Amino acid sequence: MLAKYVARRFLASVVVVLGVTLITLVLMDRTRGTYVPGIDLNPSLRPEDIEHLRANLGLDRPFYVWYLTWMWAVLHGDFGHSMIDGSPVLSHILDRLPNTLELTATAIVIGVLIAIPLGVVGALRHGSKTDHGLTVLSVAGFAVPQFWMGLMLILIFSVTLEQHGLPWLPSSGAFSAFNGGDLLDRLAHLILPATVLSFFYTSIWSRFVRSSMLEVLSQDYIRTARAKGMSERRVVYLHGLRNALIPLITLIGLELPGLVSGGLVVEVVFGWPGIGKLAFERALQYDYTTVMGVTFFATILVIAGNLLADLLYGVLDPRIRYG
Amino acid sequence: MSGDEDPDKGFGQFERFLEEWSRRDFLKRTGGAAAYLAFMAGGAELLAACGGGTPTTTAKKGGHVVEGNFSDIRTLNSMLSSDTASNQVIGLMFDGLLNYKRNGDLIPALAQDLPKASSDGQAYTFKLRSNLKWSDDKPITSDDVKFTYQLAYDPQYKDVNSPRRGDLSKYIKSIDTPDPQTVVINTTQVFAPFLSSHARYGILPKHVLGSLAPAAINTADFNAAPTVCNGAFKFVKWDKGQQVTMARNDNYWAGAPYLDQWIYKVLPDSVAVTNQLKTGEIDIGPVDPSQFDAVKSAENVSVTEFAVPTFTFYAYQLDPAKKGGTLFSDKAVRQALLFALNRTQVVNAVYFGHGSVANSVEPPTSWAYKDKPKVLYSFDKAKAESLLDGAGWAKGADGIRAKGGVKMKFDMITNAGNKQREAMLQVMQQSWKDIGVDATPSLIQFPQLVSQITNIRTFDMFLVGFNFDEDPDQAQLWHSRNTVAGGFNGFDFKNSEVDSILEQAVGTLDRNKRKELYGQFQDVMSDEVPAPIILFNHGIYGVSKRVQGADFGSFNQFASRPWNYKVWVTDGK
Amino acid sequence: MIGPSRVAELDMPAAGIETGAARPAQSYWNESWERLRANRVGMTAGILIVVLAVIALLAPVFTLVTHIEPQAINLDETFLAPGVKHLLGTDDLGRDSLTRLIWGARVTLGVAFLTVAMSLTVGTAVGMLSGYYGGWIDDVLMRLVDMVLSIPAIFLFILMSILFRPNAFTLAAIVASVGWGSVARLVRGEVLSVKQRDFILATRSIGARDTRLMLRHLLPNVLPVLIVAASLGVGQIILIEAALDFLGLGIQPPTPSWGNMLTNSQSYFFHSGFLVAFPGITIFVTVLASNIFGNAIRDAFDPRLKS
Repeated sequence: MLAKYVARRFLASVVVVLGVTLITLVLMDRTRGTYVPGIDLNPSLRPEDIEHLRANLGLDRPFYVWYLTWMWAVLHGDFGHSMIDGSPVLSHILDRLPNTLELTATAIVIGVLIAIPLGVVGALRHGSKTDHGLTVLSVAGFAVPQFWMGLMLILIFSVTLEQHGLPWLPSSGAFSAFNGGDLLDRLAHLILPATVLSFFYTSIWSRFVRSSMLEVLSQDYIRTARAKGMSERRVVYLHGLRNALIPLITLIGLELPGLVSGGLVVEVVFGWPGIGKLAFERALQYDYTTVMGVTFFATILVIAGNLLADLLYGVLDPRIRYG
Repeated sequence: MSGDEDPDKGFGQFERFLEEWSRRDFLKRTGGAAAYLAFMAGGAELLAACGGGTPTTTAKKGGHVVEGNFSDIRTLNSMLSSDTASNQVIGLMFDGLLNYKRNGDLIPALAQDLPKASSDGQAYTFKLRSNLKWSDDKPITSDDVKFTYQLAYDPQYKDVNSPRRGDLSKYIKSIDTPDPQTVVINTTQVFAPFLSSHARYGILPKHVLGSLAPAAINTADFNAAPTVCNGAFKFVKWDKGQQVTMARNDNYWAGAPYLDQWIYKVLPDSVAVTNQLKTGEIDIGPVDPSQFDAVKSAENVSVTEFAVPTFTFYAYQLDPAKKGGTLFSDKAVRQALLFALNRTQVVNAVYFGHGSVANSVEPPTSWAYKDKPKVLYSFDKAKAESLLDGAGWAKGADGIRAKGGVKMKFDMITNAGNKQREAMLQVMQQSWKDIGVDATPSLIQFPQLVSQITNIRTFDMFLVGFNFDEDPDQAQLWHSRNTVAGGFNGFDFKNSEVDSILEQAVGTLDRNKRKELYGQFQDVMSDEVPAPIILFNHGIYGVSKRVQGADFGSFNQFASRPWNYKVWVTDGK
Repeated sequence: MIGPSRVAELDMPAAGIETGAARPAQSYWNESWERLRANRVGMTAGILIVVLAVIALLAPVFTLVTHIEPQAINLDETFLAPGVKHLLGTDDLGRDSLTRLIWGARVTLGVAFLTVAMSLTVGTAVGMLSGYYGGWIDDVLMRLVDMVLSIPAIFLFILMSILFRPNAFTLAAIVASVGWGSVARLVRGEVLSVKQRDFILATRSIGARDTRLMLRHLLPNVLPVLIVAASLGVGQIILIEAALDFLGLGIQPPTPSWGNMLTNSQSYFFHSGFLVAFPGITIFVTVLASNIFGNAIRDAFDPRLKS
């Protein structure tokens, strides 16, 4: 039954991947006008040179032919070369993906580590001043534009601290330009962007843990456990928290799609060489092949994330059945 | 998504539009192109005091420099690149036959001397320096030079996506290499700007690329990781999206550089350039006019400002078949609108004074510049109104002028994301409203703007920036042959006198004669004003005080800066 | 929420379930309203949003009184600090910040409300059809939803903002083109659970028409979820709009929006900090208020989470 469910999901996924890539291509093709990616900016080019360049890029053919050719190549593992710089699209993606994963994973870990205690405290003392305080904090965390928070952190923790001769944090890139790249150096560069991104996660998740805890604590089996004289600590941590965290795991699984576009603003503000920024920049330049490649990857990630989340949910919560 | 945010002739006219591509500053990078544009304006060589200053102590060996910029690079192949940022990094690793001095005069680089022109002016003979070596110790020969140019002019290499093909295939007939040190370039016609525009491309190693099929050159590994270089520095590593690391090339013809490393770092935006100049994360970086004071106040940074041949202009639609053409066909209307614009105020407010109001179409940095052409425009609202009245455009009941039932009402387009251009359109809107002209700003994305200017051409008026080279030839903007699809004379300016002057001026190598012709050209242009230039920009660089030997100037700031190898750092780090 | 966040779905009140009736009983609505009224912080936040909306609507009146146009530039009065003539100072082109903030409220809040309205309308329609009819209709519509939720939204925003020059209306449509997906899922889920109840089965058996059934019986049951989604959505859309402005894909100058005012003032942080402060604070307070209000509404509908 699970096998049939997975097969059905797989088929649906194929439709989604085809749909998403096709929509992306059509939008690019409709908006491009007479612009030839990376090239059409040269007044010295004669019309015949432009035609030749368009043909070299495959843009002289209708979009559906381009699409089928592209899809055929992708099915053979060939993502082609960027229209802007001629480098293999796959190498672009593989260059950037680890950076994005590094940033997002760190933010998620920090987010979880902070969100759980905050949420638990809020639930245990719900209605109290602490709870209200935490709620306001998490709601406030949700109310700050990320780019704005990033810029403020740079001004405070990078520029201002440095000007006062204090230890300061680097403000852009994944490592120092000169002799950078060791673990400590990378960590130092990670702090500011990961903080901004995790702030956001913490805000959502702490609220989530709180309501989930509240719900669990009101269940009969918790009351039973308490009635049986189990220590409050055991009740909360053994029974309460464990059950309250199940949906959180699903929620984290659902962040996978956010890996590509979720961190985009943070990547842009901190010059973080991630995949979201790559995709964003290349979309503005009509780099068809790169955009299509990233879209393809991103969609697969989304689908995998959704599937994983659903499966996890099923495993963790036996009440769910697949049909 | 889960969240709240989900949400140069020389190196090419081709970049010009791209250079203008600057959305939010950080997006300038995405143009791949240069943002330098935002930093230029023109007067004379003012404030040429240079960041590094003159060395007061003897140069030290060792250390590194981090140069920051908010333009990302695309390729490291000199014949494929079409953006200033790439050209700049290429320039650190590849020298051409010739190079520019800071005033734009040509100086020999890989060539031993400036080339001799044949008596008919159609062939140039270059002698290479003796003992030139690639970074892998192989000799640099005339074959390398020929190979490099073949990529862009020779029909057998037509599958190489070189943005230089248009020009080079038009002007180069053949290249002869009588011996390993001699290159003879035979041109198809006398073309005065040839050397200044086409003799500076980085020379590529034939022994590395020569064996590849033409189409394979577009995607060669070399483009992203050149194994062999001939410039002051050689390639070490490119961390995509972040930086290019380069190391000293001991085989450099002018002698090994003082520095061990030169790093080109990509930053998010112009504010980041300011921040990182202050923190010392970068040593050299272009400064946005709005950030000038912030950088100037930093103790560890000196600022250098100089005039550059980059300008911002707006163009009137002159095609009589289009709506704009019906409005702007009368010269008096074009002149009136320019008189109504307080350009001094624009330079002060929008560029914080770091720019110069244009008197002429030629930049003040040019040897052909005429500072008082036939018609001079200073802010004169009364004159603007009388010109319009005289041309028959009378104010209607709604305050808008009209003639023959047609209202003086039009749209102005520029690319979204460039703050300065956005601001200029707004100033134009208000200034013209004051004289009864209804102009509406409209921002479109850069590729769409390019399409509008070069092909679609349904605009009434557009505003962009442009970057001229050292040579005063401006045919690409003003000659009527460039009104064809794809040409940059998208505003359909057709003037037989201008065509004839421009043709004569490139057909002779006699500078005095050229200067006279360009003087006439500037007079005509000042009277016709098909596309008035608002200002010439200034280039501004912030340079860390630990860096010595940097020599930024109008023409040697971008690509292969002839002073790169002379840079050193006081702390030796 | 309107952004395709599944957080929303998981954090939703299970409306209708407690009532078990043909539609939420009148008393359910009354009780919810009483609970909301009792939440003083929530109500204050709600009133603030209403006040801001009124200010936004009255922007033309404000300009009529002060004679200051939001786009009127004055290059002789740039970067004026807050003072008597210009209460919140002037920007880089000498425009009055207060006037621009007020007109910006129109754009920013307009985009937010419009996006929510569009997402809810389309999402509800799709969700109801999908959940009610099931079968191939459900399959087709849900795959469409999967697609919409799988496109990295940012590509869609970039390409669409090129295709349609962003003004308040098109921007709302662009954001809503993604936002409706999660609403559709939400509504479908509700419909699936409600339609199995006896009263629906009974109504169907006596031959009631589908449209009548959906509008009269299903919609009221889904309404609480929609209200919560809408109230939590406003704050999120304001942030999305600000992020798009930052990326250069949002509302284009000279039209003021809070997001582009904040973005444009960044480079002047050191010499005119107030230009950064005002739009920043405005966005923060507004989003905060709408989140608090949204939470209050959610709590009001779902008493389990309260006390």
